[in-house]
Amino acid sequence: MKNKIKELRTELNITQEKLAEMAGVRRETIVFLEQGKYNPSLKLAHDVAVALKTTIDKLFVFEN
Amino acid sequence: MNLKQYQQIKLGFVIVIAIIVSQSIIFKNYFIPVAVMIVGTLVLTILRRKVKGVMADERDYITGGKAAILAIQIYSWIAVVSMFIMLGLQDFNPAYEPIAVTLAFSTCVLMLLYAVIFRYYNKFSLTDKKFMYTAFVLGLFLALAVVGVRLFSGEDDWMCKNGEWVKHGQPDFPAPLVECK
Repeated sequence: MKNKIKELRTELNITQEKLAEMAGVRRETIVFLEQGKYNPSLKLAHDVAVALKTTIDKLFVFEN
Repeated sequence: MNLKQYQQIKLGFVIVIAIIVSQSIIFKNYFIPVAVMIVGTLVLTILRRKVKGVMADERDYITGGKAAILAIQIYSWIAVVSMFIMLGLQDFNPAYEPIAVTLAFSTCVLMLLYAVIFRYYNKFSLTDKKFMYTAFVLGLFLALAVVGVRLFSGEDDWMCKNGEWVKHGQPDFPAPLVECK
């Protein structure tokens, strides 16, 4: 599963630290998310999407 | 208080507790380390609530779960193998037997605890039956503790007296084969 977290975060000029605070997780989790090394729960995906002013389906790209 | 400050205080507590425990063992005072550990845990719990920011998130819990399962498996394997080795060597040194029994029971208790806690979170924590399940588990552990105390209290056992094995109570197993000294 790919995602556009880093892309949108850069566009909004938000730091990883700030995004982590907004989503209620540690900064390391944002790092892993951006690198595609961690699949978030539905709640975290929603929280990150809200923080980046987008929706889950636009933020995460599901591939078969 | 931020997370870094909390972690520094926690490290300080661990160092102080380690020093107190080691000194208490030297002076054979076992009350002080227990009291210090209880106080330390309470203080750290209070301080933890004052930390601003996220201390652990869902990724930490997932990682913690995986680490806990692996730790239990590794401990269980080491304990069981050590237990059989010590049981095999008990004829050379009878002191190995209580160590082997302790390892066996600690492994059983650890696995039992893991099983009941896993079942609680996996099934009962979200239902109305959680209080019933908790009461059942507490009753089960109480019963096991009573049976354990009864079995290991030495009430019904063989005692070594004047070079001979003498019945104490009504043991339902034969006298030990090892020489009574």
